[in-house]
Order: sequence, then structure tokens, then C-alpha cells
Amino acid sequence: MSLIQVKDATRRYGATSALAGVSLSLAPGEKVALIGPSGSGKTTLLRLLGLQEKPSAGNVSTLGCDLCAGCAMSIRETRSKIGMLPQDLGLVANLRVIQNIVLGRSGTRNLLRTCRDLFFPSKSDRREIFESLQRLDIAEKMYDRTDSLSGGQRQRVALARSLFQGAEILLADEPLSAVDPARGRDVLKLLTSLSDEQGLSLIVSLHQVELAREFFPRIIGLKEGKIVFDGTPTDEQIAELYQS
Amino acid sequence: MNASWRMIFGRRWLLVILALLFAWTVGRLGTQIVNLSETADPWAASARFFGAAFSPSFSDQNPSLPATATPFLERLGTDLLRTLRYAVIAISIAIPLGLILGLFASEQWLPTNKSRPVLNSLRWILRMGLSLIRAIHELIWALLFLAAVGDSPLTACLALAIPSSAILGKVFSELIDEQIRSARNVITASGGSGAQGFIGGILPAALPDMISYALYRFECALRSSAVLGFIGIETIGLGIRRSFNNIYYGEVWTQLYVLIALVIIVESIGNLIRRRLRNGVPRRKEAPSDSETALRKTAPKDHFVRSLGMAAIIGILAAWNLGGILLKPGIEGQRIERLSRFLAQLTPDPVAPERPVPTWEERKKAWNTGSDQVIPWLTNLWKSPGQEALTNTVAMSVAAIILAGATALLLVPWGARTLASAKPLGLEMMGGKIRGLIGAFVRGIFILTRAVPEYLYAFLLVGILGPSAWPLVFALALHNLGILGRLWSEVVENRNTSEPREILRLGGSRLQAFLAALLPLSLNRFILFFFYRWESCVREATVLGMLGISSLGYYISIRESFLQYDQILFFALLGAAAVIAGDILSDVLRKKLRS
Repeated sequence: MSLIQVKDATRRYGATSALAGVSLSLAPGEKVALIGPSGSGKTTLLRLLGLQEKPSAGNVSTLGCDLCAGCAMSIRETRSKIGMLPQDLGLVANLRVIQNIVLGRSGTRNLLRTCRDLFFPSKSDRREIFESLQRLDIAEKMYDRTDSLSGGQRQRVALARSLFQGAEILLADEPLSAVDPARGRDVLKLLTSLSDEQGLSLIVSLHQVELAREFFPRIIGLKEGKIVFDGTPTDEQIAELYQS
Repeated sequence: MNASWRMIFGRRWLLVILALLFAWTVGRLGTQIVNLSETADPWAASARFFGAAFSPSFSDQNPSLPATATPFLERLGTDLLRTLRYAVIAISIAIPLGLILGLFASEQWLPTNKSRPVLNSLRWILRMGLSLIRAIHELIWALLFLAAVGDSPLTACLALAIPSSAILGKVFSELIDEQIRSARNVITASGGSGAQGFIGGILPAALPDMISYALYRFECALRSSAVLGFIGIETIGLGIRRSFNNIYYGEVWTQLYVLIALVIIVESIGNLIRRRLRNGVPRRKEAPSDSETALRKTAPKDHFVRSLGMAAIIGILAAWNLGGILLKPGIEGQRIERLSRFLAQLTPDPVAPERPVPTWEERKKAWNTGSDQVIPWLTNLWKSPGQEALTNTVAMSVAAIILAGATALLLVPWGARTLASAKPLGLEMMGGKIRGLIGAFVRGIFILTRAVPEYLYAFLLVGILGPSAWPLVFALALHNLGILGRLWSEVVENRNTSEPREILRLGGSRLQAFLAALLPLSLNRFILFFFYRWESCVREATVLGMLGISSLGYYISIRESFLQYDQILFFALLGAAAVIAGDILSDVLRKKLRS
């Protein structure tokens, strides 16, 4: 059974089409890198896969949920299994690390509980968050304000939020843009090892072709809203992808 | 910015336009600054008044006061507490109301489905309503409320709370909509509802700015509460008015000093809280990384802000519960009768019923017989004196903001902290000590001038110089000098680019660095704040005329003594229209400058 099933998905914004007939499928636990020049449709594809937008034409089904055709579970329930790691991380700067992480579970909790979580997180939540922060090596920052952390630390906070959420799929939009170039390798090592340990499916959009080749067995090349290759690309294919 | 806008905002054109505008206001308002009877000597009068500044009085200056009268200092203490109390009550009403209004005036609650355009237009109607409510000055609200429900202290508090809620609502909604949506989107993308996204992703991010603005509004409410004394509410303004009219200048200065001190204390506490909210507090103890409980116990907490928060809650409870009663007991029927009479007085004259407490039938009859007279009635009011009053009001505000801006521009290079130091912009230079002293002095002027409300300046200046438009202009200019000076200094202090430093490094003076680099770099933001303050000058100018100078406020106070509330409403709305026009104009200009 495939986790994600995309068939001829097209997405237009006004006259410009960001995606033009994309098809792909993804099995549980698979790790995929999305590469391609700026404006090739990577972010749009991630938004469609995350069920944040409907395709203008075609079908996108994630975890058995298709915004156009119908869902096995409710949309909110489905979304609660999809972790998003946007380019700017989507953390509230003046909240504490734990407050940002605990919000990850909003999809399975009601409004009242969310309010409580912000001020008095439950003991089991605290323990769980502490353990995952320990694994990410920033446990000592748990009660610090998020804006007092470095870029790399903040990224791990955002990652901890998706782990706490209990996501089955993680969609990361250029996760290396916020960190030191030298630390890029560490970030991808962390992401892929988490994916291996937890059976988390991973779709990561990247600019660094070399790193994509090193860490991802499957690479999808996007250009002008179309898939140019899907699998292990040759050097010629890569060169062609970035040719204008 | 396109070429034509650049033409307008090119530095020379701006100066020419402002000079022409100022010339127009001089032509409009006349050149008579002092307007006293021929025997009076303005110099002697001001010398006496300002001389008293050095000998504030700590006991009653009235020798014939009976022994049983409350001593001066005790009265002053009571007045001051009352001023504070009304401001606290007003803001405690305005903040929750402003939050609710702000939420609905923001885009956050709009659904993404088909009903969005309809609900969005409702939102715009709400925003316009908020603009209208805040365009009407506290003093006018107080006049209307006093007439409508009687002179309980609660009336005064409501008069302060209503425009405050509106402006808080407007600013809160803008702060909420300004926040980056990313954190909210993550929450909704992981299955959270829109409300959860708002509570978790938007509100916490907007909160520091919202608290900061609410604190500023509290400062404003404090000043307005003092000013309510001038229409008879028993706050410190009333004490100042009485002492001044009896020529007890020593008493006036004591009260002024105490009021200024209170405002400055509130402002400094506000600044402390702002800084702490922005920066957070650093972790004091080394974090133990092996135990969650230990981590939680050593988490950095801002005890200062927390205890101030507690103090604020206790203060609000005390303000509501301690001290004299807020609502004077009255028989229910009387209150309703009073309201009904007020509504009859508020009805435009041609359609007003004859009896003060009319029945429904009488109202309908009056409407049927006089409705065709309403338009001529309005036209007449506009022709005389509306048109002239409005023009004078706008002219006063324009003259005042130009004066304030010109003075602030002269003072800012001496006051901005980054220049007024031994190491301007981090470069070692000569003359640091003196520059530091001058800088502290200039910043002191800014603090003092903005601590005193415009109306209070105007009252004192009219008392010294006699009734003419210029004392009012000076009053507006003084207060706004303090505000513009501070805002502009902050803009200069936040410019941390290399150009001005380069000028200093090449041997230029601080003034050269300011004129050649800091000023051009900051000009857009200067103009932005200039227009923002001009708009609030228009609002203030609508009431200053109450001190007896031909402008909107003058006609409002004259009509009030004849209980002609229909005409008061007309002038108040005329003023509101000017404020809203100013608001829109400055909004458009600010958007143009930003882009």
C-alpha cells in the first residue's frame, strides 16, 4: 500500500502553473529528496502532499485522504499524521522551546487543552518532550526562549515538534537554508537516521545536489512544474535539470 | 515609489510645501500671539507664573481658608489618586473590550469559504466604526456622557474607556494581522483548528507588542484623566484650574510637578517592561541536563514582570473597589428620564419634539413636520460657523506639527544617544563629556514636554498670553515636540549602518554625520512619524478651542451651555471627519513611503 499517491497533479496560480501534471507514489518509510532550480514547484508539491491545498486538476492522496475525492479519516486526523518543517521553521520566537513543541499535538487535542498545554503541560508530555530533546542533544534548552537558540538548535526544536506530533510523514522544505553550510551534513544525517529508526517517511526539498545523492536513495528532479527524473539520476540528468 | 512621488518627497519639495503650509496657517490664524487687555503686561504675568516654578507651594496659598478645610497637600494626594484611579478603571475596561474588538477587526476569524467576502465587509464596517469612535475626543465623550447619564465618576471612566477601546481594537487588529503566519500554518497543517492556530501561533507572537501598546494607552489615559478636570470631573486638572484662576501659582507648580512625576514613573515602568518582554531574561543558573524537573525549576523566569503583572491586577481590583462610590445612587426612573431628555436634545432641531420628555407619538409627529428642514439646518450650520471652525482647527494642527517637527529636527542630533556620547557610533572622539551632558538635557526636555497633556499646556498658555489661536498651537507643538523628539531619536539610534561612521572616521563632525548620512537614511521614517503625530494633532485641536478660541471646540463649549446637543454632535462629527480624513491621508502616505 502506498502512503502517497499523486496522479497528474496540476496546480495553477492565476495564469502561471506551478505544477504541471506530476505523478508519483511513495511507500511507507521511504526517503525522497526533491531537487530542482528555484521556482520549479518544490514548495507547491510539498503543500499539495501536506493536504494544505487542492490540486487544480488531477489527484493527490496522502494517507488515504484526497481533498477532492474524500478521506478515509477526517482531514484533521489525517493532517495530524503529517509533519511539516517549513523553510522558516514556523516557531514562535518568544515562546519557550517546550511551548512550541507541545503545540505539535494540536491536531489531536481540543482548544481548551491547547490553552492548558501552553501554560501547564502535563507530566507525561513533559517527560516525552524531554526525552526527544535529549535524543536531539538540546535537552538543556527545553525551558529557554526559542529566540535565544542558534539556527541549528531551532531546527532541532522544529524537528522535535514533528516527533512529538507523532507524524508518519515528514515534509521538509529546504531544511538546510537556516543552518551553517558546514552543518548541513549533520542535519541530513539526523533526519535520515530518525527516519530509519521510526519508519518515518521523508520528503525533503534541497538545493545541494551532492548531499541529496549522499543521503537519499531516491531523488526526484523537478523543473518548470514537471518531473524530469525519479530515482538515481546520472550526472547528465542533473546538468540538464539546472540548465536554463 | 514612482517618480511623481519622489518629486513630492524629494527633500526640497517637502520643505517648500511645508513652508507654504505654515505661511497659510499664519495667514489664517493671524499674527497676534499675545491678546491681553492694554493695561496688562504679558512679561510681568509670565515672569510671575514662571518665577513660581522655583517656589512650589506645599500649603494652601489662600490665607482666608477656614481651619476646617482639607489642607492643600491632602487635597493634592486625593486628586492624584483619583486621577490614577479613573485611568486604571478606564484601561481595565478598554483592554478586554479592545481585545474582542481587535480580534473581530482582524482577518483571523474570517473563514476561507464563500461567506468570506460578506464577513470581510462586516469587518471593514467594524473598522470604520472604531475609527469614528476614536476620532471623537475623550472630552467630547465626557460632555455627552455627563449630559446623558449624570456626573458619576463612572461616567468619567467610560468617557476615557470608549475611545481607548476603539484605538486599542484598531491597533490590536493590526498587530495580530502583521504577525508571520508560518507558526499558525504549521499548527493547522498538522491538524489543528484555526482557533488553535491563532492561540498557539499568532497571539503569543503578537502579545509583547500588544502589552507594550496597552501600556502606552494607559499613559495616555492618565493624561486624559487629568484633563477631564477641566470640565469639572474631580481629578488633578480641576485642582490646577482652581489654583491657576486664583493666581496661586505656587500651588499650580506643585501640582504640575506631581503630575509630571507620576506620568514619568508610569512611562519608565512601561519602558522597563517593554525591554524585558523584547529580550527575555537570561538563564541565571547553569542548566542541569539530566533531569526535566531540575530544568523546569531553574527555568529563566522574569520575576520583575510577573510581580508587576500581579501588582496591576491588585491595582485594578483596588481601583474598582476602594475609594468613593463610582455610580451615584439615583432613582432608576430619573436616569431614564434624563437619558430620554438628552436624546431629545440630541435630535436635530428641526425634527426635535417640543416637550423635553416626549412620547413616541410626539417624536413621530415632529419628524413628519420637520424632516425637510434637516438639510437646510445642516447647510446653515456648515456655512456658519462650521466651515470656519473646521478650517481654523486644521490650521492650528498644521502650524503645531510644523513647529514641533522643526524644533525636534534641531534637537534630535544633540539628543540621540548614539551621537551624544564620547564614542559616537563606536568611534573615539573629542568632547564626549559635554556632548553627553547636552544629550541628557535634550532627552530631559523631550520627557518633560511629552509628560504634560496638550490641553493643560493650552490652559496655562491661554491664561498667560490671553485668548488667541497661537497659545493653542504652542501647546500642541510642545507636547508633540516631546513625542517626535523621542520617536525620531529612536529611529536615529537604530540606524546601525556604516555610512555615518565613515563620515566620522574621515574627520567629520557629529553634526555632519547626522546631516549627510543619518538624516537622509532616516527621512522616510521621520516623515512617517510626522504624519502620524499630525493626525493626532487634528484630534486634539478639535477640543482645544473649548478654552475660548474660535475653532470647533469653542462652538462645542458654547452650545453646551445652551444644552444644544444636536449642534454639539454636528461639530463633534465635523471634527471626527477631519480626523478620519487625516487618518486616511497619513495612512496612504505611510504606505507610499514604505513601498
